[in-house]
Amino acid sequence: MTASKRVQILLLSLFLLVIFGEGAVQAIVELGRGERPQALDLFTRTPNAANLRAYETEMEKTAWSAKALRPAMQYVRFAGYGDLGEKALLGRDGWLFYRPDVSFLLEPWPQTVATPVPQDDPLKAIVAFRDALAERGIALLVVPAPGKPSVYPDRLSARAARTHTGAHGHARAFMDRLEEAGVSCVDLFALYREARAENADAQLYLARDTHWSPVGLRMAASAVADRIRAEGWIAEGAVAYEEEVVAIQREGDVLRMVDAPRIAAEFEPEQVDCQQIIDPATGEPYRDDPASPVLVLGDSFLRIYERDEPGSAGFIAHLARELKQPVASIVSDGGASTLVRQELQRKPELLRGKKLVVWEFVERDLRFGMEGWKLVSLPNTETVAPS
Amino acid sequence: MVFTSHIFIFYFLPLTLLVYYLLPVPRNFFLLIMSYIFYGWWNPWFASLMLFASYANYVCGHVIATSPVGSVRRKRALVASIVISLTTLGFFKYFMFFENNLNAMLDVLGAGTLPVIQITLPIGISFFIFQSLSYPIDVYRGDSPPVRNFFDFACFVALFPQLIAGPIVRYNTIAEQLVQRDHTMEKFTSGVALFILGFAKKILLANQMGGPADAVFSAESPAMLDAWFGVVAYAFQIYFDFSAYSDMAIGLGRMFGFEFPRNFNAPYLSDSITDFWRRWHISLSTFLRDYLYIPLGGNRHGERRTYINLTIVMLLGGLWHGANWTFVIWGAFHGLLLAFERWRGKESVYSRLPRPLRVGITFVLVLFSWVLFRSVDISTASAYFKAMLGLASASGGSVLLDSVIYTRGNLIVMALCALLAVCGTQAHDWVEKLTVTRVVLLIGVFVLALMTMFVQAFNPFLYFQF
Repeated sequence: MTASKRVQILLLSLFLLVIFGEGAVQAIVELGRGERPQALDLFTRTPNAANLRAYETEMEKTAWSAKALRPAMQYVRFAGYGDLGEKALLGRDGWLFYRPDVSFLLEPWPQTVATPVPQDDPLKAIVAFRDALAERGIALLVVPAPGKPSVYPDRLSARAARTHTGAHGHARAFMDRLEEAGVSCVDLFALYREARAENADAQLYLARDTHWSPVGLRMAASAVADRIRAEGWIAEGAVAYEEEVVAIQREGDVLRMVDAPRIAAEFEPEQVDCQQIIDPATGEPYRDDPASPVLVLGDSFLRIYERDEPGSAGFIAHLARELKQPVASIVSDGGASTLVRQELQRKPELLRGKKLVVWEFVERDLRFGMEGWKLVSLPNTETVAPS
Repeated sequence: MVFTSHIFIFYFLPLTLLVYYLLPVPRNFFLLIMSYIFYGWWNPWFASLMLFASYANYVCGHVIATSPVGSVRRKRALVASIVISLTTLGFFKYFMFFENNLNAMLDVLGAGTLPVIQITLPIGISFFIFQSLSYPIDVYRGDSPPVRNFFDFACFVALFPQLIAGPIVRYNTIAEQLVQRDHTMEKFTSGVALFILGFAKKILLANQMGGPADAVFSAESPAMLDAWFGVVAYAFQIYFDFSAYSDMAIGLGRMFGFEFPRNFNAPYLSDSITDFWRRWHISLSTFLRDYLYIPLGGNRHGERRTYINLTIVMLLGGLWHGANWTFVIWGAFHGLLLAFERWRGKESVYSRLPRPLRVGITFVLVLFSWVLFRSVDISTASAYFKAMLGLASASGGSVLLDSVIYTRGNLIVMALCALLAVCGTQAHDWVEKLTVTRVVLLIGVFVLALMTMFVQAFNPFLYFQF
């Protein structure tokens, strides 16, 4: 190698400064706060694979350099590459998409190759749940919620916009399997496709959120109510709920998952006009009734506008308005596949007097559902006192 | 531990350098301890396997060295070392493959299947088994002197800079350095420069190309253009990932006074498959040549035997990469092409074309082989080939693939990769002449790569799986 002494010293000094500097500054910062340097935590735990991974992760998370530089680098990569990190994808016209929503559509499902953890079969779990409910005289209505890329492929992909090609495949095929197994479903995919065929700009989902808009959820609630009425599972109620328009601003959960304030600042919050459902008897926003003949299970698609701002303006309240009676509900973010049924098992009183269970889950959860699709038995309601 | 991790860059490396240079003696023993920490960081139990392989080969080497040339004892010790090493490798790497294939056969015969014992593959096992095995063979052949003590030998096997993914350092390459090596500022500086370039290649290029490659290879039915884009992205990912590891390994070696062999030399500038194997994973090619091809007879027993030997070596080379039929076919593909070129006097069938065309055709042949290398099984590879040849149409969600792969970042980095891949000056050559401008560039790239590391998810080197 040819390099003058001066050049060698320059490179070595800068390199050593960088690699020694991080640990030294970190230790000084921690000692300055009166804490023991975190690096020494290594000697306080048993050196097994799990502890070493945890130690390494904690060191990375709390490093001053990473904390100081990460936001700037996230912004640089966004500005230069249009990169939003591991969780999000930048679509067209300022639309953002949740990466697992897209992966679910892109990749084969059910998985054709062996996976490290064997995948549960959602069909088995749903059919078993349907059968267990039927034994108690309760009907089940399954409502797979389309992921945003299924409804708006053109806002993600220039090719989809050019070819007017839809992207939904797995969920549609799965609903066919459900119907073959005699499970009742509501096809929101077809509903939204028709809505967009009539008006391509129909705002059924939020641009920077994974979830539906107030328009989208009203359509869903209306379709589900139509199906319930058609099947005659429950008697129609008599509550004439009122509506009140409440305007809110939403940053969008996709943007929030990017976790980069400087990137978030590049996007205006979305103005969303919600229809809050008002109980005419009290003049207060809608509230669930655990004694209702209808129990609604689902994920964050039920939480948005309902338990989030402005409240009582989500799918549950709108379904109640359509049915003219309050419903009961269990909502678990990302946990519609298994966690909601486990929660139902812990709350047997919610099953008392039920005629119908409406089970919503987002399509990607067929593959990525938290805790998979476990078989969960129904709770024993006979020992529960009436609430 | 991974070179491109916070814990390695900011804690393990500075601490190891500091103590190493403060210690008067014995530095090899300190490197041995740090190498075992480095390896055991992944899973402390794996370190015991490496210790076993090292000790077994050390004992065999010692028996060989202390036995008269031509004696039965000497031969037995050599056979024992080969059997122990290959049995260890075979059990951990190929036993499940054997079980699965046996079950598949039993299933076809309607005889029921046997329960499959799940075995965790210790990281880098192929590398450290090959390295430790080279010692008794070299001593048997008289190519290198016996090692002076077990700690030096264990240090050679475990040496953390090149432990996990090479270059495969043979004992006779490093025997003298274990006893006596120079520590100069010039060597250290060139090591730092090479390490930085490797680090940047991995973080800024390979990891970025891994995104589109993974997306396309895991897609249900990619369109023709997407399939080509995906395999080109993978070609760049594997090159910049593996050559980055080698650069970092060689750079780290220099920081500790070692000189490891060069592992890559602009492989995508090859104008034939024969040329490709002179430039790609050079340490494996030479290892297979010296320890397999030549013992099989090489080219000394006529043309037909030469072709057979070439194909056998490449088949086993493929299997060395992984216990999967895709790797076997990948090896056979290269072996047959090498044999064909040997038949033509080490010339490709397109050798009369202008060099840019020869390079282009070779690259396309290599791309086809990468499909086998990257695919999880043969049916996936077959579907991918169909997509590349336009024999399958995109369907379902694959229409969205463009949004994931043709991003600004991927296009910029792919163009940069293409430029660097066809650029004659490789990292090794570039660090040979350092100027102030190059130092500023190196530090700038290092800081940029570090900042990028902070926003990237865990992304180990591809060759860790081998």
